[in-house]
Amino acid sequence: MVQGGTARAGIVADVSPVVRRPDPRLIRLWQTEALLWAGAASVGVLALARLLDWGIRAWIAATVLALAGAACATLLPPARARAWSFEVGENEVRIRRGILWRTESVVLHSRIQHVDTRRGPLERAFGLASVVLFTAGSVGASIPIPGLLPAEAESLRDRLAALSDPGDGV
Amino acid sequence: MASEPPSDGTPEPGERRLHPLSLVFVTVAIARALVVPALIGGVSAADGEMWRAFTWGLAILALPAIGFATARFLFFRYRIGADDLSLRSGVLHRRHRVIPLARVQNIEVRQSTLERLCGVAELHVETAGSGRKAEAVLSVLGRREAEALRDALLARRRAAPPAEEGPVAEPLAHLTPRELVVAGATANEAGVIAAALFGGFQLLEDLPFRLPERFADPRLLIPDLPLLGALLFGLGLLGLLLLLGWGVSVLGALIGYHDFTLERVGDALHKRYGLLARREASVPLSRVQALRVEESLLRRPLGLVSLQIATAGGTPGGRQRGGAEAFVPLARVGEVPRLVAGIFAGLDFGSLTFQPVHPRSVHRGFARFAFLLALPGAALALAIGPRGLLLLLLIGLALPLARWQFRNRGYALLPGYVVARSGVLNRVTWIVPEQKIQTLQLADSPFQRRHGLASLTVDTAAGGQQATVPDLGREQALELLRTLAGRGG
Repeated sequence: MVQGGTARAGIVADVSPVVRRPDPRLIRLWQTEALLWAGAASVGVLALARLLDWGIRAWIAATVLALAGAACATLLPPARARAWSFEVGENEVRIRRGILWRTESVVLHSRIQHVDTRRGPLERAFGLASVVLFTAGSVGASIPIPGLLPAEAESLRDRLAALSDPGDGV
Repeated sequence: MASEPPSDGTPEPGERRLHPLSLVFVTVAIARALVVPALIGGVSAADGEMWRAFTWGLAILALPAIGFATARFLFFRYRIGADDLSLRSGVLHRRHRVIPLARVQNIEVRQSTLERLCGVAELHVETAGSGRKAEAVLSVLGRREAEALRDALLARRRAAPPAEEGPVAEPLAHLTPRELVVAGATANEAGVIAAALFGGFQLLEDLPFRLPERFADPRLLIPDLPLLGALLFGLGLLGLLLLLGWGVSVLGALIGYHDFTLERVGDALHKRYGLLARREASVPLSRVQALRVEESLLRRPLGLVSLQIATAGGTPGGRQRGGAEAFVPLARVGEVPRLVAGIFAGLDFGSLTFQPVHPRSVHRGFARFAFLLALPGAALALAIGPRGLLLLLLIGLALPLARWQFRNRGYALLPGYVVARSGVLNRVTWIVPEQKIQTLQLADSPFQRRHGLASLTVDTAAGGQQATVPDLGREQALELLRTLAGRGG
């Protein structure tokens, strides 16, 4: 996990000393994921073309899809990773995400229902993990924090589980 | 804490596995899921050859599913610790879930007939999270193991205070048939029903395209005014449908909410209503996540409101619409403070003064309304030519609508509660107790950022729409966020 010096200028003017950003490998993970999806979509289009006998149009469509996928893969993830940050405050956890449509979620420790660590196959390949906060909320029912190192994820999960020692809540 | 648990499935001390019979039950579940497609395939197959191919196909699909289920069984571990219940699961997506014991709300031991025969049971552990599925499902454990686990979970949880005995019923609301007629007549649903009826007619497909041609023929209707004829016809049809929808709505209210009675009994609300299907519902006050007061376009001039309560996970016998259900379908504005106090004792709703949102909200509102109002004009112009541009005059409504929307918006902070109000045609007021705030979401779109605005959503455990204060100034939003975050602890 990378320690950010100053919070990204944007919604929150607060500058907290422990604003944390995702590991840079997350960018490559997202890029790989996008490329896989673009590849699968292109293959799907080609298969459909074979079935429906499209010819040239299929190739053009597949090329366009592949190029669009490549563009998304390279351009979006770095911006997305830059936009993602979280901090564990005294009373709450704040998670910020979103490039154009930005959201900051504030979860009081007492409102955390339980915490998961999660490692999908891609995350394992890149040596990363996520922590997912579960609350009783509807919009904020589950809030992921991606791009953590496995050990960090474990310790964050345990820390949050301990902090969420209840007495309040629903 | 310890490093990442081994991913090869070897257990840590204290961790336990599911009962081996889970494999059998998963197989049974898969078989049950495949029986119906197999039957359908068998019945609809043209010949025996196809049927055989179909069943072979299903068998081939079943094998990897069973294999996966076996792997999942092998990789599932659970442990009950001093303060938490920990579950490890997943083959491809490794998941390690830690549930603090005092978060546990419901513990249920379930047995199907087959499970009872085999001496196993499922354990469902629910927290207050969105209740679609229990947060921990252990399927299956040996029956004694399941019960022992349940007892251990109960023992380590903090005990709930005992319920009161012999409470007195305090009447809150009652609706006479006349009031029900008014309720049905002014319900917004009339419009929805009309739209549904409209959609049912096949005319809907032909209307936009056939009409101009049909009425361009001067012999059919008023000559030299084909456009007017089309409009009159359309309006007449719309009027008829609205009337039908309105009638259905009134009848629905009369029958569905017949003799609506609401009482507060101890720490629960008791509702009784219905003519054909009589419903009785009891809602514990503690389950109420938020209160919603709606003043619809038709009702506001009449001084009428409707109140809904938003609950977590639904209530028995209640009609759910996105997490909020009718608390009082119809009430006079003057009664609102008393009704609110019936749920949130001590809340003086009448003494509220609302803080307005940022004035720039009008700019943003104007842009949105102007765009929306220009669409019919543009569409009509595309359909019938330049005369359609007349409809663009609707844009003149954009500024008044934006101003009206701004005046409807606001928020208020009371000790222990946050109140949010918004809406254009229907004014909606949300009352959320601070204790029920689950998360706070501060969001802005690029358009809002341009004007220095942001919206704050107060998230509760009730599904559906959440209380939102839109278009606050950025500083205002941050201040409100800070205050609410500071208070809710």
